[in-house]
Amino acid sequence: MTSKIAVIADQDTVTGFMLGGIKEGYPVENTEEAGAKLEDLVREDYSVIITTEKIGDELREKIVTLTSERALPMIIEIPDKTGSIERETDPLRELIKRVIGVEMVK
Amino acid sequence: MAQEMIEGINPTRMELLKLKQREKLAVKGHSLLKEKRNALIMEFFNILDRVKGSREKVADNLKEAYDDLTAAQIAMGDLAVKKAAMSVKKSVDIDVDSRSVMGVVVPVMDYDIRKRTIVERGYGFMDTSVKLDDAASKFEESMALIIELGEIEKTITLLAVEIESTKRRVNALEHIIIPRLQNTVKYIEMRLEEMDRENFVRLKMIKKTMSEGEA
Repeated sequence: MTSKIAVIADQDTVTGFMLGGIKEGYPVENTEEAGAKLEDLVREDYSVIITTEKIGDELREKIVTLTSERALPMIIEIPDKTGSIERETDPLRELIKRVIGVEMVK
Repeated sequence: MAQEMIEGINPTRMELLKLKQREKLAVKGHSLLKEKRNALIMEFFNILDRVKGSREKVADNLKEAYDDLTAAQIAMGDLAVKKAAMSVKKSVDIDVDSRSVMGVVVPVMDYDIRKRTIVERGYGFMDTSVKLDDAASKFEESMALIIELGEIEKTITLLAVEIESTKRRVNALEHIIIPRLQNTVKYIEMRLEEMDRENFVRLKMIKKTMSEGEA
């Protein structure tokens, strides 16, 4: 069984990934649209959904409820054209710190 | 030591037996959970080695890809790039499998991203720029990295959640449930011994009064 993969992002990012060979790209304009599309895709059993960090930040709660404690779907956030967002704390690093109890050098 | 114990327990032999049974079970469970926690943490460290720098690698790779894409858009125009992108053939095949780490189901990606030649991509050469080819190949490259990153990050998150709850259970057993059971067992044993002594003294007294009455 091949799994389904899709991109939800701004127009340019979608164009780029379509060039890279992903056929299902959904350009979205605003947060509401992205949220609705995301829900649709999760309902349709997409296993991998690529989105941008910006959208990811805006839809954090939704993404957490959709993905935590389940193996699929996998929502991957990537930087968009303007580069990656400088975060004060890397969420993954926070998580590691909380679990292990000490700061790990990453 | 805090003498915390289970409330509302009758100091009887029945209860004592039951409690001892429960204590045995709790100790067994505790050691099993501890083993599980250690195994999970070991797995977690293995994955941590893989995550090192992979996010940065993706970001760098994508940056180059975006630069080429922008260059192509400048050279050919927005619409032409979009048109070319539409006609690119599908090249990514992924298969998500799962594996179980101490009962935690984590995804395993099996992907096949074909590196294609320019001809295979499917857009025409007449109205496209070299930059478009570069952009396309760079996006293909980053795709593999992105999928791998996704797999690793997902695994880490899932393992972390499981480790946290296992840790909490281990600690609860170790610091609350087991001491509480032990204290209660001790209390009942003491009460029973006390009752024994009381009975003994009572018998002695009765015997004494009886022998005095005879005399």
